[in-house]
Amino acid sequence: MANMVSFDRLSEEEKHARFMERIAAGEKIEADDWMPEEYRVALIKLISMHGISEIMGALPEKEWVPKAPTLRRKLGIMAKVQDEMGHGQLLLRVAEDLMKPYGKNREDIMQDLFSGDLKFHNVFHMPAPTWGDAGLIGWLVDGAAIITQTNMLHASYGPYARALQRICAEEVFHAQHGEAIIMALTEGTQEQRAMVQDAFNRWWESLLMFFGPAQASTTGSSKQDVTIKYNIRTKTNEELRQDFFSKYIPRALSIGLQLPDSTMHFDEESKMWVYQQPDWNKFKQIIKNNGPKSKERLRLRQLSYHNNEWVREALSPMNKVV
Amino acid sequence: MEAKKAFYQEYEVFSKRTYKSPFQHQFSLLAPNEEIAMVMAQENFMRREPVVDIWVVKRSEVRKLDETERFALQRLDNKQYRSTKGYGYLKKKWREYEQNMLDEKEILSWGGDGKQ
Repeated sequence: MANMVSFDRLSEEEKHARFMERIAAGEKIEADDWMPEEYRVALIKLISMHGISEIMGALPEKEWVPKAPTLRRKLGIMAKVQDEMGHGQLLLRVAEDLMKPYGKNREDIMQDLFSGDLKFHNVFHMPAPTWGDAGLIGWLVDGAAIITQTNMLHASYGPYARALQRICAEEVFHAQHGEAIIMALTEGTQEQRAMVQDAFNRWWESLLMFFGPAQASTTGSSKQDVTIKYNIRTKTNEELRQDFFSKYIPRALSIGLQLPDSTMHFDEESKMWVYQQPDWNKFKQIIKNNGPKSKERLRLRQLSYHNNEWVREALSPMNKVV
Repeated sequence: MEAKKAFYQEYEVFSKRTYKSPFQHQFSLLAPNEEIAMVMAQENFMRREPVVDIWVVKRSEVRKLDETERFALQRLDNKQYRSTKGYGYLKKKWREYEQNMLDEKEILSWGGDGKQ
């Protein structure tokens, strides 16, 4: 303990060793604590992508507010859209505190999004043409998000773990909101059932892609090894995808949906779901902002950012008239 | 650019869930001034939970401990004389005198008529 009194005098190696001891002991790392560069960079990449995805995800969903079939459904989806924006606000704060040593802030995050340097989640590059899609997004896209996010509830980085606690609690509402829409449709007319099956088929590949490729070699890079090494998460992409299958495939079948992949089955010996791989080259293109809706959604965000520029200028404390 | 940077001021948000509960730190947010910080605190953190009071504090006004200072918060394990733990033997003593020990639970129950 005595050698800890002068933390600043420790060598980089000693600081690193102490850092690893802290996370191994379950301690939480805070924004101003010493951390390895690799840890900071991995967190910034992960959390800024997560945060901006929440905001980009609210865009396709908000299109459904005026078109939702009943007042109750409108209120429900509106509350969800508001939550997604709130999650974005929380997560961007976490990312911004990590970026501070590099002199970057929210303005830079927005500019990185517009320039394509900051990616957003593959699912938010896709179209949501029917009310069936709106329900399916709530049920399965949020379901997939719950699987990845709960895996990081005990992340070694305290601010992220605390943000996820709040987010996951609200995601439970989102998932049930989606289930309620899907349930109403599958118990409805032939046409409504077909609408859900259609949305399921349309989203299947995106849902497989959601967890990322099993090996880094598939797309050339992956943060899964670094995030596991530093106790940010515990499971690999493939383990998370398998968890998703185990939780949701039986439910999908129980409400009469057909699996879009007819070869898919559970292998009793390996205890794994066997399925056809999505087209990972397509995935690479999508996250490079070459998906079907990438440009349109970025433009929406860009427009709202520019339209509100005068507000940022007018309210800037530097322009205050005393 | 400078004006834009100045727009994003950091605020820490604290709130009370009930009148009896202590203030609890919620999270931080960015806002150009404290009025908007207050509105955003409600929008960002109090969409569902009950809340009876909110504070927003500019982060630059908060003096935080750094990593080394936090290390000095560790307590030495020799302070039983400060706590009831160091006087636990009294329970047995009082039993010898056929009396009950007036412990923390008993004493804190004395306020009012037991109603909250």
